[in-house]
Amino acid sequence: MTVTTIAVGERPIREVNAEIRAALSAGRDVQVTDTRSRHNLGVGLPAGATVHFAGSVGYYCGGLNDGANIEVERNAGWAVGEAMATGEILVNGYAGMSAGASMRGGLLHIRGDAGPRCGVAMKGGDILVEGRLGYLSGFMAHAGRIIALGGADDACADSLWGGEVWLAQPPKSLGVDTRIAEPDPDEVAAVNALLAARGIPDAPREWHKIVSAQRLWHFESRDAGAWLMI
Amino acid sequence: MCGIAGRILGTPGPVGRDLVELMEAQVHRGADSTGFALYGPPRSQGYVVRAVSMDRGQLDRHLDDFRQTLRDHGSEFLEDPTWDSATTRHVSVRMVVDDIPDLPRWVTDADAMADRFEVQSVGRSLEVVKDLGTAADVADKHDVRSFVGTHGLGHARLATESSVSPTASHPFWARPFPDVAIVHNGQITDYYLWRDRLTRRGYRFLTQNDSELIAVWISDRMHHGTSKDEALQQSIGEIDGVFTFLIADERSIGFAKDRWAIKPLVAMGELPELAVATEEQAVRRIYQEEGDVINYDGPGVTQTWAVQVAHA
Repeated sequence: MTVTTIAVGERPIREVNAEIRAALSAGRDVQVTDTRSRHNLGVGLPAGATVHFAGSVGYYCGGLNDGANIEVERNAGWAVGEAMATGEILVNGYAGMSAGASMRGGLLHIRGDAGPRCGVAMKGGDILVEGRLGYLSGFMAHAGRIIALGGADDACADSLWGGEVWLAQPPKSLGVDTRIAEPDPDEVAAVNALLAARGIPDAPREWHKIVSAQRLWHFESRDAGAWLMI
Repeated sequence: MCGIAGRILGTPGPVGRDLVELMEAQVHRGADSTGFALYGPPRSQGYVVRAVSMDRGQLDRHLDDFRQTLRDHGSEFLEDPTWDSATTRHVSVRMVVDDIPDLPRWVTDADAMADRFEVQSVGRSLEVVKDLGTAADVADKHDVRSFVGTHGLGHARLATESSVSPTASHPFWARPFPDVAIVHNGQITDYYLWRDRLTRRGYRFLTQNDSELIAVWISDRMHHGTSKDEALQQSIGEIDGVFTFLIADERSIGFAKDRWAIKPLVAMGELPELAVATEEQAVRRIYQEEGDVINYDGPGVTQTWAVQVAHA
């Protein structure tokens, strides 16, 4: 398919995003250059779109993704893929704070490390991190899977409501109201299938599957002291 | 929300221009007020004093009264004061004054007129320039872009806690410690408790802004023998709230970030030259696509960067 190249520079983002949409509507793939870590690039892209960002992007890149296939060549700032409904986002470098926040579906694949609160309040879909998860990752997630090959910093999966955090290395510490569950072979097979589909070589991995301990499901304000970490 | 930035140069140069650039890229984070802490070549004698008079029509009288406080403390203007030529009622004044034997006591006396003429910085090197409006507004009005120096801080303010005025904005000078200033992104929740403690020990705060605490808090620790790195570490455990702040003096810029890790900070460059900012896109104005930034995303982080310029 033919590719349209769109340069960002210091131009208004609204103008850049309108050009991206126009090119996609004309049935073309899009290559976005001179990205300068600008915010809100490629928000709300439609199904069938293929967009490549040739550099680092700022906040909320690929937010509200509705089925597009998005690749970021280097790093992403805050909340890449925020509230994604469906589609795929690949970040080749580091993904900043709150990657995949509130996402409901789709796949967010991060080749490097993820910052704090990765997958905060996520409601579905998969986040695959080849590196390490930051502090408080999975905080208050409701559904979906977060998979990290490089372990996790402190307070992993804090206040997890539902969903799962899979770590191939032990976390530095677990957040409140979590427990490590023994994964079913079917679940391990599903995770391995996802890794294989993303081109990650098979390897012996000792999974730490973190789920909600479900005590906060029945929170009583008189027990608040039991939940205060500091 | 607020946006902050810092810049260090390897040789004295257009640090004002760079800081304006860093703040223009973050104008969406707050445009109530914008301010800069600029560090010029340090004086061997005397101080640069930056102040704001609340009434341009009374400026001559304010300057006479202020001069009297200097004379009472054995000092004097070394140069004629200069001020902005805008039409706003308030007016920013730059003065160069001779050495003051007891600087804290002089600051106390000069602060008696702070309701009409407020000292905003004192330093061998530091000059605080802050006013209402965007980075471009403040830069144009006060000719910030032409400032030549070695390092500095910038702040774009979205007021959440206290009034919007030329005095309630950042940076804050660490009254009365010469050459120390901070910019802050966040909210300090127990600032009034710390202010009470410090006020009882003789410090003064002129605004209701939570951030005014930070510079004095760190400087007080250092005054009692704590190293800057230790004081920054202590701030994480002892000051409550969400914060990422930058603190500068003649020789360095440092930062501390709270244990919740909410307020971002990125750095780019390699000493002796460096840019730091809330957002990566700001430092990209200076280092467009050269390598990756360092994200200080974790909780409870501190760092100090030394200014390595050898002054003649």
